[in-house]
Amino acid sequence: MFLTRSEYDRGVNTFSPEGRLFQVEYSLEAIKLGSTAIGVQTSEGVILGVEKRVTSSLLEASSIEKIIEIDRHVGCAMSGLTADARTMIDHARVESVNHDLYFDEPIKVESVTQAVCDLALRFGEGASGEKRIMSRPFGVALLIAGIDENGPQLYHAEPSGTFYRYDAKAIGSGSEGAQAELQNEYHKSLTLKEAELLVLKTLKQVMEEKLDSKNVQLASVTADKGFRIFSEDEMKVLVDDLEASMVDEEMELQQ
Amino acid sequence: MSNPQEINGGAAVAMVGKDCVAIACDLRMGSSALGVSNDFEKIFNYGNVYLGLTGLATDVLTLSDVFKFKTNLYKMREERAIEPQTFANLVSSTLYEKRFGPYFVGPIVAGINSVDNKPFICGFDLIGCIDFAKDFIVSGTASDQLYGMCESLWEPGLEADDLFETISQALLNGLDRDALSGWGAVVYIITKEKVVKRLLKTRQD
Amino acid sequence: MSLQEALPDSALHSTASSVPIEHRFNPYSDNGGTILGIAGKDFAVLAGDTRNTTGYSINSRYEPKVFHVGDNVVVSANGFAADGNVLVKRLGQQIQWYHYNHNKELKLSSCARLVQHMLYGKRFFPYYVHTILAGLDEDGKGAIYSFDPVGSYEREQCRAGGAAASLIMPFLDNQVNFKNQMDPATNGTEPHPITYLSLEEVLQLVKDAFSSATERHIQVGDGLEILIVTKDGVRTEYSPLKRD
Repeated sequence: MFLTRSEYDRGVNTFSPEGRLFQVEYSLEAIKLGSTAIGVQTSEGVILGVEKRVTSSLLEASSIEKIIEIDRHVGCAMSGLTADARTMIDHARVESVNHDLYFDEPIKVESVTQAVCDLALRFGEGASGEKRIMSRPFGVALLIAGIDENGPQLYHAEPSGTFYRYDAKAIGSGSEGAQAELQNEYHKSLTLKEAELLVLKTLKQVMEEKLDSKNVQLASVTADKGFRIFSEDEMKVLVDDLEASMVDEEMELQQ
Repeated sequence: MSNPQEINGGAAVAMVGKDCVAIACDLRMGSSALGVSNDFEKIFNYGNVYLGLTGLATDVLTLSDVFKFKTNLYKMREERAIEPQTFANLVSSTLYEKRFGPYFVGPIVAGINSVDNKPFICGFDLIGCIDFAKDFIVSGTASDQLYGMCESLWEPGLEADDLFETISQALLNGLDRDALSGWGAVVYIITKEKVVKRLLKTRQD
Repeated sequence: MSLQEALPDSALHSTASSVPIEHRFNPYSDNGGTILGIAGKDFAVLAGDTRNTTGYSINSRYEPKVFHVGDNVVVSANGFAADGNVLVKRLGQQIQWYHYNHNKELKLSSCARLVQHMLYGKRFFPYYVHTILAGLDEDGKGAIYSFDPVGSYEREQCRAGGAAASLIMPFLDNQVNFKNQMDPATNGTEPHPITYLSLEEVLQLVKDAFSSATERHIQVGDGLEILIVTKDGVRTEYSPLKRD
């Protein structure tokens, strides 16, 4: 890839003769360098999970924020250049709060996602005269989880401005392995509890470090509690549950 | 505060029924938004004639005494009580006397003529122009509301009981939509046999 | 101090050209008319007379002012007709945009909030109108929302607006919300219970209210147009009013 560098990989507004926008494609590469993030949708709600790369024992793990609330009923997990996510989340929050102000109802999850993706294309001029506000595409992808009148939903928003809805999706460095695992394990009748363990188990498989309650973070979106990031104590219990279930599985295999 | 007729607030209404008339008013007297009295009756009796006086409270009190004086004189001279129609003309001429410095009032008259036993009501503007209505007369700061109520509730030929209910509902609901009127209400049901005065239980806000 | 007192004597006797005359454009006028909305159990009606006036002149005997703006929402903005028409037209467009952006029907409660912002958006040059919104809520119950000219709003069971609002509103209190009425079953010791009126009863009330208003208010008359909202959609009924 990096050997095919040409004049066309500098400007964000110029297609290459093959019809590619290199900067946008490179931005997708930036995500592949990021820590893994996973989302799983069930009929009871959505679970988001991220790995936190605690690169030093001197680093305060709780200061790594990769799951963030957008509104009471929507939240997101990120992977890539997480600093870029600030802009996107700010935009999503403003959009969500404004919608509530103007329409006296929570915004739909799809509309939040659409709003974020509208912003993702603002490295160029808008169709109706909007000013260019960024020098380059975002280097971060979001997994947006939320609940609205259409039930729990999970969306994947990319720097290219496209978004898709998923039952289960993994992004970041471990996404290939994780996505394959999700493909195998996912089924429509998953409970929320099962989804929590599935997310954790999948993260464990693709993480380089040994998973513990400090280097992963989970969040859920449900009808009655809305968006909620799991506390440290809850994470401990979950990690213990995971270990226990792993032991159970091994026992079964041995028998 | 610019319109003297709306400083103190208050409302009155009169209605014709079958061989009966009714006249009613609220009990509030205020100073703009401030309520001052809940015992300020605006209906005055002169023999078999009833006069409702809304508007500037000082003029209400003054005029009610003026008419007491004039009807007493009338009774002494004529040796009989004044008839409603005659009283109406007395009101009219008394008000027009002050054509260029008027009393700021909205009088209404109700009674039964003792000669032909026919019900009679009428209303006036502040300088004495008489409105001879066959159905109902309204007056005061809730007059718009009372017009709306009376125009939709009143019907011809109401018996005394039904007339009481009609005028009460008209007054009560009219009062509740006027901030300057309310704080109690009274109704007089007048037939040739008797006059019944009833105090209505109203909202106190 | 009046203008004449303020001027020196010489100014009063001088030629017209030396006395400045201030001309001012008044951007508002009053086109009269009255509107009335009542909500029932599973329906709502919004009615308006069809007379349009300026001063003592009748501009039109049939100028509808109650409109269906989509999504089972009917609206009327009574007062200054030009402002009312613009508000209704803009609301219709906003509803279209909502469809494009969110791909779903606009709820009545959301529509009410939207109208608030459209009105408050012109807080310092307001639409000179009394606005009423009628339709069904999320549970399918009839709903009326009423607004002041700058967007303050409230959901109600009924509301009269416009020229004869002061005549009709107490009548509605009495006949729709049973104000000042006692329950005959309790021998008059308890207030009349709040019950829903049937569509037939409501339509009769509306007609009575308007014929009474027509009788006593010069700006009301000519025709009565009632828009009826049910789960099956919006239906219009017209009946004549006195033309004098």
